[in-house]
Amino acid sequence: MSRKAVIECKHVSKTFYTLSGDHLVVDDLNFTVYENEFVVLFGPGQCGKTTVLNLITGLELPTKGEIIVAGEKVTGPSPKRGMVYQTTNLFMWYNVMKNVEFGPSVRGISKKERRKKAQHYIDLVGLTGFEKHYPVQLSGGMQQRVGIARAYCNEPDIICMDEPFGHLDAQTRYLMEKEVERISSQEKRTVVFVTNNVEEAIYLADRIILLRNLPTSVKKEYTVDLPRPRNYVSPEFLALREEITRDMDPTL
Amino acid sequence: MNTAKRINRKYKYISLISMLAFLGIWYLATAVLKLVPAYSLPDPVKVITTFVQKFYMKVPDGATLLQNIWASVKVAMLGYVFGVVIGIPTGVAMGWIKAVEKIVRPVFDFIKPIPPIALIPVMIVFFGISLQAKAIIIFFSTVIPCIVNSYSGIKQTNQIHLWVAQTFGATRRQQLFTVALPSALPMIFAGLRVAMGSSWMGLVAAELLGSTSGIGYMISVGRALLRSDIIIVGILTLGIIGILISVMFDLLEKLLVRGGSEK
Amino acid sequence: MKKSSIKQKAGTILLPAVGFVAILVIWWLLVSFTRIGLLLPTPLEVLKRFIYFLGNPIGKAFTLPMHLLISLRRVLTGFCIASVAGIIVGISMGRFKPIEAIVRPIFELVRPIPGVAWIPLAIVWFGIGETAKTFIIFMGGFVNIVVNTYAGARHVDERLMGVAYMLGASKIQAFFRVVLPSCVPYIFAGMQVGLSTCWMAVLAAEMVSSFEGVGWVIIAGQDINDMAQIFVGIIAIAVMGLLLAAFMRFMERILCRWRERGA
Repeated sequence: MSRKAVIECKHVSKTFYTLSGDHLVVDDLNFTVYENEFVVLFGPGQCGKTTVLNLITGLELPTKGEIIVAGEKVTGPSPKRGMVYQTTNLFMWYNVMKNVEFGPSVRGISKKERRKKAQHYIDLVGLTGFEKHYPVQLSGGMQQRVGIARAYCNEPDIICMDEPFGHLDAQTRYLMEKEVERISSQEKRTVVFVTNNVEEAIYLADRIILLRNLPTSVKKEYTVDLPRPRNYVSPEFLALREEITRDMDPTL
Repeated sequence: MNTAKRINRKYKYISLISMLAFLGIWYLATAVLKLVPAYSLPDPVKVITTFVQKFYMKVPDGATLLQNIWASVKVAMLGYVFGVVIGIPTGVAMGWIKAVEKIVRPVFDFIKPIPPIALIPVMIVFFGISLQAKAIIIFFSTVIPCIVNSYSGIKQTNQIHLWVAQTFGATRRQQLFTVALPSALPMIFAGLRVAMGSSWMGLVAAELLGSTSGIGYMISVGRALLRSDIIIVGILTLGIIGILISVMFDLLEKLLVRGGSEK
Repeated sequence: MKKSSIKQKAGTILLPAVGFVAILVIWWLLVSFTRIGLLLPTPLEVLKRFIYFLGNPIGKAFTLPMHLLISLRRVLTGFCIASVAGIIVGISMGRFKPIEAIVRPIFELVRPIPGVAWIPLAIVWFGIGETAKTFIIFMGGFVNIVVNTYAGARHVDERLMGVAYMLGASKIQAFFRVVLPSCVPYIFAGMQVGLSTCWMAVLAAEMVSSFEGVGWVIIAGQDINDMAQIFVGIIAIAVMGLLLAAFMRFMERILCRWRERGA
């Protein structure tokens, strides 16, 4: 099966130089993500997952090696690579509509066109009727939906999600996992999703990349071919969960 | 190879150069090029000499710089202490007791926007050019921010904390002293700081408008005699004292307000 | 149910009235039965005079509303210049390190000087015309607006800047859509404080040297020993201050709507 590679991480290393010394955070990281694939980067605690996302989106540059996204080497942030954050990071002074259309708006797309596009994604994430609301008036889960719509609305090549449900309560978290699955099946995109929750990883992923604890590198990969929507308590689900937990590096 | 520190040092040099450039331009414009007459803006060297001379010379206003500072600080302290002693309890009472709030608040809201400066003539008519007149002006400058801040500090007490105290059986009085007051402390402290600034301003205005001593008086004599070096020395002295006061408040705040202020 | 709501309404109207009435009664009693009456007019006299001055000139030419408008025009001129300059200086200091390094030491020198202390220097520099007054009012507002705007510009959430860049915003777009909006609450806080210090500065300036304006009304009252005129001036100032504060709150409600949780 020849699939188109969208993200290629080639021998990527990252060292942080700080006052207290040099820290090797990412060490010879190699992986590939294919078009329209939902890949979960899974790893223990503070294992440098966010740094990997920052490298992919170009917020930070690798010390060694290179990352190629959609045929281009990453040299800095670009609207072609969208991001959904752990904390919502919405523009508090803009209402939902203006937040979602921010990307198209700064890229100079006509008001009529970007409104139409934004409305489509607001509908997609289930926020129809909340277009005029300001972020402070929304619940945590709803704010996260705005964040997702904002990332999708910019129509990037890839979307990175950095523990987007880390701050939500358990109920909302389950609901949002279902929502993300629905959204990503309706709008096929290449998604790199970071989490430290093994259930969330298995529930969402086409493929799981297990990362080592600091310095980060790939420990193992799992292809998840369970039928969707997945059942959290099916024997296959539990077996995979068992296997990944066993393989995972211990943390403090 | 410490980049962060190196950049910081670079900016420190820029600051230093900027300061020197400022003095240099001032010197060039006044002493060398004589762009402005000396009675309007003296050169920096002249300002420094006057500053030093004022420590032992009584001309032109009849007192040395230190005597003037003492005269000002004395009045300021007097008015300030009274303002604090009356302002904080009033504000706390307004915030804690509903009836007091309802009666006093509207009157207070009407008085609040009156700048204390406007009261100077009233005080001069009542007390003449005297210590009382100035002290009362400073009292007004102090009491208003003290009331505002202690009132809103008490008002912003977290209702849940009060409920917690209630469930432990605290009386209303205990709730005030164990919950409301401690949680209002950072706010009250901020009020003390604001009050210090506004009382300092009130003092200067009072001394400019009617006084026979103090830094404000020295400045107004400087103006009458077209001695701008005296004016600038006075203004700089006010600034330096202002800095000292705010440093003092920083220290006090670190000592007294624990658990972090609201910033 | 109905009874209690009537009782409540009575409470919100009656109790505040109690405060005002008490003050007026004490005032009236003091004036009628003590020697203070030699200096202080009764509340009724002040009210009569207030109404009289609404239509008749104080001094040579202007009625009370005209004096108020003159002061207001001066305040607004100085305040607007101070706002524009203050926002520009504050934001550039907060966002650009080199500018911060250059401007900050000089600003720190000016910052602790109370606004009114500039009056004598302003008169020496600009005479007693409008320029001097605008300068004094400018200095009164400028410092507060810079301090607050600077704090706001430094507190811009860098992650949000990252978000904006990642969504494709240019530096200019990020400035107008992220930096500026997140500074607005700070700028507004600075402008509110600034407006009240400007209002204070105009009074001081008019009291020191002027032929019209509310500050002059008060000082002229002092010169002719007319306490009623002083009080008319003070009340006019309070009313104007209330209106200005209400206007600023209204503007804040509009500009900072996104911070309100309700509805």
